[in-house]
Amino acid sequence: MSLEFRLIISGCGILLFILVFALVRTNKLREELSISWFLIAIVMMIIAMADMIIDPIAFKLKISYPPALIFAIFIFFLVLAFLYFSVVISSLKSRVKELTQKIALLEFEMQDKYRKKND
Amino acid sequence: MRYLAIIPAFNEEDSICDVIEEIKISLPFSDILVVNDGSNDRTSEIAQESEVMVINHPYNLGYGAALQTGFRFAKMRGYNMLITMDADGQHVPSNATNLINTMQEQRADVVIGSRFINGGYRVGFIKKIGIWLFSFIAKRYTGITITDPTSGFQLLNRAAFSYLAEGDNYPLDYPDVNIIMLLHKKQFRIVESAVMMKEKNGKSMHSGLKPIFYIIKMFLSIVMVLVRKKEV
Repeated sequence: MSLEFRLIISGCGILLFILVFALVRTNKLREELSISWFLIAIVMMIIAMADMIIDPIAFKLKISYPPALIFAIFIFFLVLAFLYFSVVISSLKSRVKELTQKIALLEFEMQDKYRKKND
Repeated sequence: MRYLAIIPAFNEEDSICDVIEEIKISLPFSDILVVNDGSNDRTSEIAQESEVMVINHPYNLGYGAALQTGFRFAKMRGYNMLITMDADGQHVPSNATNLINTMQEQRADVVIGSRFINGGYRVGFIKKIGIWLFSFIAKRYTGITITDPTSGFQLLNRAAFSYLAEGDNYPLDYPDVNIIMLLHKKQFRIVESAVMMKEKNGKSMHSGLKPIFYIIKMFLSIVMVLVRKKEV
């Protein structure tokens, strides 16, 4: 791998790390949700420098262009992150449904009490 | 015995009034609850003018969720029996007595009003295949012949609706054979009873790519009912 390529990848990793950090600091991203993004950023930084690991593996897997392996690893981590967010969304959807139903029921009870009081 | 008729309604201002009046005449022993699922029209106002109970969802949650809100209400208020009916006027409320009789005769927990037992109701080709396929799966699993698993005309006793009122036991969108299989798994007794239905005019819930998505989703739901542990 060329030095430039490595620098670009790890530079992207550092940028992502700083961005995620800034988002958490300004309360725009919750800590528990930021962890998977920090992990991705760290993986990006390390992997670009880890020739001694990447190149032999790529060679063994008969990948003629080692950076392709880096992309494959990134994509895998991204897919994991998306899966995690889908889990979070599913749980939020259930909770929003519960809340909406409870609010609707409570509103009815309130109006009902008010009506009975006025009758 | 306290009865409650639940009508989940989403943008049904044209038909809701007639449906309510028909229920009042045919089922005078039953209270009526309209669950307005975030309609953009005057559904809620019209229902309120008809002097029935109305619960309003602040936005559209889905047909199943609206029914579940009704289940929760019925559980909270101590009703014994629940009749579910669609707001578009396709169900004939007086047929609910068939459901009640069937429940008493067969000691069932849930009675599903089927438009197909006596024939005479036509549906599209794809829908027919879908109903046949899912009914077949349900039959293999439960041993019960269900001719109309998506029917919104049902009678449930307190045990059954109390169970479905819990958490995610009921789907947000359309309940189908998955719910029948779930109830069977939980040892509830489900039977069908013949009802008449008027053919729906206007939009169908399934159009475009939706049927394909729906069939895949339903297969998944069925598999999940099969693999989930009994206690969960």
